[in-house]
Amino acid sequence: MGNLVEIEHLTVAFRSKRREGLFHSGPSLKALDDVSLTIGENETFGLTGETGSGKSTLAKVLVALYKPTSGTVRFLGREIDYKNRKDIAFLRQNVGIVFQDPVRSLNPSLTVKEVITEALIAAKSIPKKDYDERISFITKLVGVTKDLLPRRPRELSGGQRQRISLARALVVPKRLLVLDEPTSALDVSIQAQVLNTLKKLKSELNMSYLFITHDINVIKYVSHRLGVLFYGRLVEVGDTRTVDTEPKHPYTQSLISHVLTLKKVGLQETVISEHRPAPTGCRYRIVCPAAFERCAAVPSWVNLGDGHLVSCFLYDHQSRMENQALLPTAAGQVGSLRAPPHESS
Amino acid sequence: MAIDNHGERDTRQTLAPAVGAPPANVVRSRGEGEDNTVLEIKDLTIDFASVDGRVRILNGVSLTAKRGEVVGIVGESGSGKTTLGMAILGLLDSPPANIVSGSITFEGRDLLKLKSAEMEKIHGTGINMVFQEPLDSLNPVYTVETQIAESLKVQRKRQNPPIARETEGETKKLITDLLRNLCIDKPEEVLERYPHELSGGMRQRVAISISTIEKPRLMISDEPTTGLDAYVQNRILGMFSAQRKAGETLLYVTHDLTIASQICDRIYIMYAGRVMEAGETRSVLQEPLHPYTSTLVASVPQGFEDAPPLSVQLGEPPDLRNLPSGCKFNPRCPYAKDVCKETEPKLEEILGRRHAACWRVDKELGKFS
Repeated sequence: MGNLVEIEHLTVAFRSKRREGLFHSGPSLKALDDVSLTIGENETFGLTGETGSGKSTLAKVLVALYKPTSGTVRFLGREIDYKNRKDIAFLRQNVGIVFQDPVRSLNPSLTVKEVITEALIAAKSIPKKDYDERISFITKLVGVTKDLLPRRPRELSGGQRQRISLARALVVPKRLLVLDEPTSALDVSIQAQVLNTLKKLKSELNMSYLFITHDINVIKYVSHRLGVLFYGRLVEVGDTRTVDTEPKHPYTQSLISHVLTLKKVGLQETVISEHRPAPTGCRYRIVCPAAFERCAAVPSWVNLGDGHLVSCFLYDHQSRMENQALLPTAAGQVGSLRAPPHESS
Repeated sequence: MAIDNHGERDTRQTLAPAVGAPPANVVRSRGEGEDNTVLEIKDLTIDFASVDGRVRILNGVSLTAKRGEVVGIVGESGSGKTTLGMAILGLLDSPPANIVSGSITFEGRDLLKLKSAEMEKIHGTGINMVFQEPLDSLNPVYTVETQIAESLKVQRKRQNPPIARETEGETKKLITDLLRNLCIDKPEEVLERYPHELSGGMRQRVAISISTIEKPRLMISDEPTTGLDAYVQNRILGMFSAQRKAGETLLYVTHDLTIASQICDRIYIMYAGRVMEAGETRSVLQEPLHPYTSTLVASVPQGFEDAPPLSVQLGEPPDLRNLPSGCKFNPRCPYAKDVCKETEPKLEEILGRRHAACWRVDKELGKFS
């Protein structure tokens, strides 16, 4: 499986408007800090993290709504120069996006058909005579019936609106679809229908997904691989099943232990009162129960095998050599921390 | 822990996250029945006037909540769950709303018959509500601190005998601790901000703290954790559990079954303004009687990428202006028979423990057939 998207050392910084003055700009805030990840062909990459962790920023970089401050984005092997219009057009031709809010992301004054047609016009690559054919093909696939086409978004239910967003994103064939919390605004039964549709679409249209959500139950159900963001930094990446059953980073462990399921009984006691990132070093170290002196530096990636990567000092070579005895103690505090397998990079 | 409705409760203890069953020895407040019933809604029917004529939002809803109980109201958009909460608080404007029939009894008094001045005294410390959209419930021109302090002031004033107000410093500390408890980072800074400067999740937590600081005897929360991270959600649910321990009753409105299964003692499943199924949470979710409940349970994603598709019936949510005849769920129901399309089933008691409104549920066997 080749890589469709390769993101290396991506940093996106914003200038904070707070404390901005006439002669000095506000402090800069890194929404994404040195994030590297790849999305394979036909793969669903799940990205999770809490509010403000930079999930949506990453989504917007992939459709060139934000420009990277530093770092590179390669799409189909081509490095995207965000100052070059052709590169941006290339990116947008191949990447579709579906936003969280189906009300605000559809133009209220256009009919459903016009909304979808706009995407075809913008693409420029499709001859006009094929429009109707494309529209009927895609609407059938996403489950929008013909009688909805002349209606306007306000006349439709949330699930229908989200299907139309999907149809708009996919009416021009795409290689990657970015789904930014596509089901969080929907009711559970509608969410289930949309998730089923998304899975079906992916196998029929031969594309990759970047699926962004804070709902771990949903992300587990849809994604092959999973990345966990904490305040702009990726802390763990790996096969979804591995990350879910054997989370390594203390943050991932905390996140997964707090997930509610129908079967789980009793709430997880939350001991941490303040949940804030550290300005330097490992961002999680202020709240991390296993933090030690070395965490003041930025941890490098440790390969635990099978593409399971974790950015934590607990697992690197030095920790294992020096603190063989220390590790179990730290593990006791964190819960299911276990000694990592014997391979590291 | 000493609990007295007319005295002060220990804030720290009330706020500490804890999980557990409702207490046995709580002091009963006035007007409460022998069976500790705090809220009793009987046969509530509400219409709304719209351009398409009268639309029935609630149809014959009955519900009870006991002291220290967490009662879940579960349903999807348009099921009438929010209207139910607003009706309890007397917040529905008439017109367009019109209460056709029914009663809402809170601590022995029928709220629908109270004058608005009397109702106002119940608001806040008697019944309180956390709304789904926090931006609408916060005052845009006051800082977070002012708004929370105002609630605290009301709470103190209404105690019998009134409790002396804290000094400014004490109030500030109390509020800061409360916000910190809700996982708000740097609460001192947040206190000075205005609602529009906060993120959605933060606003929601401010709204929750305004409600909890008043220590209402009945708290209605309408999707309070929607859009919040699992971590913060857990903390809020933990806080609610602690309040329940202190004898507060909680009506928890949600569409999320995983949350309902965590904190609700009993749940009511609503669809198109009707109660479809009711009973103890665990038994309802583990052995759903009504096909609609089964649909909801089956909609919760489980398993990994290679798991089979979620088994949900196709079909859109009900259009209240144009409901089908018979059982309102019948167009989406895979088990619908002829009778389901003709006559609407009543909510009936099943084996003395549960209630369901479905023709296909056998009352004697207590099973779906």
